[in-house]
This record gives sequence, structure tokens and C-alpha cells, in this order.
Amino acid sequence: MELSNIEKLLEKYFEGETTISEERELKVYFTRETVPSHLEKYKNLFQFFSEESTIMATQDLKLNTGRKFRYSWIGIAASVALIAGMFLLKPAPTPSEPVDTFEDPEIALQETKKILNMVSQLMNEGKQELVYLNEFENTTKELIK
Amino acid sequence: MKERAFITLTNGFKDKLFRLARRLLVSNEEAEDATQEILLKLWRNKSKMAQYKNVEAFAMTMTKNYCFDRLKAKQANNLKIVHSNYKDEQASLQRQVEAKDSLDWVGKIMDDLPEQQRMIVQLRDIEQYDNAEIAKMLELNETAVRVALSRGRKKIREELLKKHNYGVV
Repeated sequence: MELSNIEKLLEKYFEGETTISEERELKVYFTRETVPSHLEKYKNLFQFFSEESTIMATQDLKLNTGRKFRYSWIGIAASVALIAGMFLLKPAPTPSEPVDTFEDPEIALQETKKILNMVSQLMNEGKQELVYLNEFENTTKELIK
Repeated sequence: MKERAFITLTNGFKDKLFRLARRLLVSNEEAEDATQEILLKLWRNKSKMAQYKNVEAFAMTMTKNYCFDRLKAKQANNLKIVHSNYKDEQASLQRQVEAKDSLDWVGKIMDDLPEQQRMIVQLRDIEQYDNAEIAKMLELNETAVRVALSRGRKKIREELLKKHNYGVV
């Protein structure tokens, strides 16, 4: 294309009045190897435009379809199973009333007394060991009057 | 709609969404996140997809709004977007590297434009949408698009001339 034509197109271009196809012509013209020196400065511009249009996004689109859905069903199933298990596997409440082990109340009293005696005897034996602790009591009494 | 069909549909304009997001947010990572987010949103609303006349334009509008929200959130947090897309500005001996550098200058100039002009130049000069499509995507009227486009291009030319004549921007 002739130079004068290009210059006219450039003028129109900067006024924003060129059509897409005219702009394409300009792009083709300026991406050539040789351009007259007074138009050299526009070369970068059009080269930049054509270079920019080749940049591509590198990440691939990941759509997590279905998977989310499946996992949510597993969650629901697990909670249902848990609640059902709690109700179904709960053991029948045991009667809390104690059962009598002796027929005669007299014998039962004696047995109880015997056991209580044994316990108090063992406790007294244990308490004898605590005599040494009185030593602490003495010293604090001396200090705090 | 099946996953496969959705992916083939969105693959047609996924890169365009990414590039728009990248133009607005500058950072590659942020732009990747934005693209994923937009596509997932579309996927979640796939039942309504049949109602949209133009899914691509709709996705572009979503991207624009999403990026604006992100930018606003960043501003409110007083956080700068951290990005590493800019090349080191050290002078290079190799001609090729220099050429690459001057292309980066154009990118920098573009990133300094007001957001609206930046988006319009992006959509028009890089993605080659026509003004009517851009107007619909950005919820503007066509005259506003043409004016902003012309202003954006002129601003870029001005900065390029500065750089060309004095070597500074």
C-alpha cells in the first residue's frame, strides 16, 4: 500500500474512525520488516497489539461437578446411621431397685454390723500411721501463736 | 449443559477474558484467578445461559465488573497489587532485547491510561471487537466508546513520541 494512504489511515485511526478491516491493514503494514523512518515510532504500537493478542491463560478450568454432590450424600447417610444407631442400640433400662439377699432381717442386720465393724477396725489401723503428722502441728503452733 | 460443551464454549473466549483482566489488574496471577472466578460463576448459572443473547459479551461485562470490584477492594485495603510482569529496565546490548523493551513501553503507557480508555483500547485494538460490541460489553453508548478510543490512542501516541524523541516517558 502507498505511503500517503497509510498516513491517511493513521490519521483516521487516531480519531477513532477507522473500521476493523482498515485497522487490520495498518497492523499488517506495521508488522513488516521495513517501515519509513518517520513512521518507525508506530511500529512498536502495532507490534505490541498483535503480540498481546497471542497471550493465553495458562490455567485450565476445573469444574468440580458431581463430586460435591456425592460427598454430601455420604455425610447425610452417616448422620442418619448415627442417630438410628443411638436409638436402636440403646440397652433396655435395668431395674434400679436392689434385690434382698437375706430372708431374715435379723441376720441381715448382724451381717451389716459385722461388715461395718471390719471397716472401722481397718480405718483405725490406718489412722495409727498418721500419728507422725502431729509433729507438723507442733511446729506450726510454736511459730504462730 | 454438559461440562464438555461448556468448556468448548468458554475456550473460545477464555483468553480474551484473561487478557482483559490482565490489562486491568496488571498481575498475571490476579488475572488467572479472575478468569477462573468468572468461568465458575458462568458454570454455576449455566441454567440461565440460554437466556443470554451473547454469552461472550456477557462474560466480558462480568470480567469488567469483577476486576473493578477487585481494584476497589485493593484500594480500600490500601494494598498494592504485587506483580512481576514488568521486565527489568536495564539497558541491553542485544537488539532483540531492546525491541522487546520498547514493546513493553507500549504496555506501560497503556497501563497508565484511565481504566475506561484502557479497556476500550484493549477490546478494540487487541481483541478487535467493533464499537457496538464494546458498547454493549461496557454498558456505554457507541459515541462514548469512539471518543474514549480516540483519546486513548492519542494519549498513547503522545507518550510514544515523547519516548521516541527524548527517550523518557
